[in-house]
Amino acid sequence: MGSDLFEHRAVISGIGQSEIGREVHRSGLQLTLDAILAAVADAGLTLDDIDGLAMFPGGGAANLPGYANGNLYEVQDALKLTTTWRLGQVEGMSLPFYGPAQAVATGQARHAVIWRTVKEGSAARNAGGRPAYGSTKPVAEGPLAWLLPVGMLSPVVQVAPYAMRYLHDFDVTREQLAWIPITQRAHAARNPDAVYRTPLTLDEYLDARMISSPICLYDCDVPVDGATAIVVSAAETAADLRSPVRIEAMAGVVEGRPSWEQWEDFGRVGHGAADAMWSRTDLRPADVDVAQLYDGFTIEVVWWLEAMGFCGPGEAADFVEGGHRIALDGELPLNTWGGQLSGGRLHAAFGHTAEAVRQLRGEAGDRQVEGVEVAAVTNVGGFEAGASLLTRW
Amino acid sequence: MDATIGIPPAVTDETEAFWTAAGEGRLLVERCASCGAESFPARGICRSCRSRDTAPAEITGPGVVYSYTVNHQRWLPDLEVPFAVVLVEFRGHPGVRVVGRIRGCDPDDVTIGMNVAVGFEPGPGGFAIPSFLPVADGD
Repeated sequence: MGSDLFEHRAVISGIGQSEIGREVHRSGLQLTLDAILAAVADAGLTLDDIDGLAMFPGGGAANLPGYANGNLYEVQDALKLTTTWRLGQVEGMSLPFYGPAQAVATGQARHAVIWRTVKEGSAARNAGGRPAYGSTKPVAEGPLAWLLPVGMLSPVVQVAPYAMRYLHDFDVTREQLAWIPITQRAHAARNPDAVYRTPLTLDEYLDARMISSPICLYDCDVPVDGATAIVVSAAETAADLRSPVRIEAMAGVVEGRPSWEQWEDFGRVGHGAADAMWSRTDLRPADVDVAQLYDGFTIEVVWWLEAMGFCGPGEAADFVEGGHRIALDGELPLNTWGGQLSGGRLHAAFGHTAEAVRQLRGEAGDRQVEGVEVAAVTNVGGFEAGASLLTRW
Repeated sequence: MDATIGIPPAVTDETEAFWTAAGEGRLLVERCASCGAESFPARGICRSCRSRDTAPAEITGPGVVYSYTVNHQRWLPDLEVPFAVVLVEFRGHPGVRVVGRIRGCDPDDVTIGMNVAVGFEPGPGGFAIPSFLPVADGD
């Protein structure tokens, strides 16, 4: 199917990451350059090959302290690059490689780099805790104007009522969903770059302080400092690349009301993107060997498992309980790097994409799953949703 | 419980009527003169038939809690916690969901499906914010 799909004219050619930690004493620009240089080398390219640059999010779109780093102009200047394509993306980018893939598939660039650099770990430390959303601005604008004034001061609080409704509608318990953070922590223990690597027990999970019910501390991703860069290349350059990865199918769909408090049913948030993605491939959920599903919160993994068809609506709790199916040796190894819950909030599926590429190449070290041919990568930021399958070259 | 610690709303042409009425204790949505459908928040266009002929209309409730959360985290210095936040819908008013605080009960006593009355309380920046009140079933 679909030899004319535009994503088949693009490959992911390189991934690179800076040091990742709760606090890394390097500027956002230096972390960004660390990641870009590593990604370009990983692709088997040199900086002179790069003619497309993009960052997420675009300039000015920083609602959280430490949220956006590596100014597009400064990075281009530092690297002495000539570009034929650039993009400063804000929310609306369903997947990190989507825009760059459009650029190389249409000949606007041959090799495009996109980066995402966070300094939210340092920012949280400086604020004495996780800072309030929107606290970088004096008033709450746009959709936030309804949320922040009533005390919904973080995405945690904004997603929590939908998690509460999910537990209510499907008679699901926190004890069941705890197996997502517990299992991902076990995976992080095998990832030297993860920020939390000591085992997490069910008792520790249940004893953790509540942030915004039913979401406790271990249901939230971990603010970190770190950068991820991804190189996307035109497929026709594959012979020049060290180890490219195919984009089998991808789609980004925003449906329903695009606001945190007006969404009709957040449990449905990824279904449109997943359905559109599956319509672009002959592969089926059973063909997926590893799943890197966006985990800003535990509940987002729940919704992705159902949206992607790994289980039916309301069945995710049974699917994850005990952790066996989602373990490294299970039927669907989940967030094999620890995910954002234990690996760090690298955000917007940049960390998930890097891990999918490693698993497909067989370069995932102690956490390598055997014989990975197909990796799923999904991203969600509130109502923004993107779903994809990456496959071995 | 003090709800004035926080970040105030930016007021726009479309939302000015809501915030002004909130200060008077009234909940305004947007009603379409062509098809009668209600929309919230106001966009200056009917979300059902896309007519531009819309005007503010008051909803008096009671509402029903679609869902809720109890926030325990002190996101800002001096923020008083814990408090409950509710998403409220209204029988006979499809297309309207309003987010607000709830007072008059322990935050842990809030439940999905409970009936609430429309109300407001002082919020950040001198604005009145939605703050619902529990009502007994059948009230």
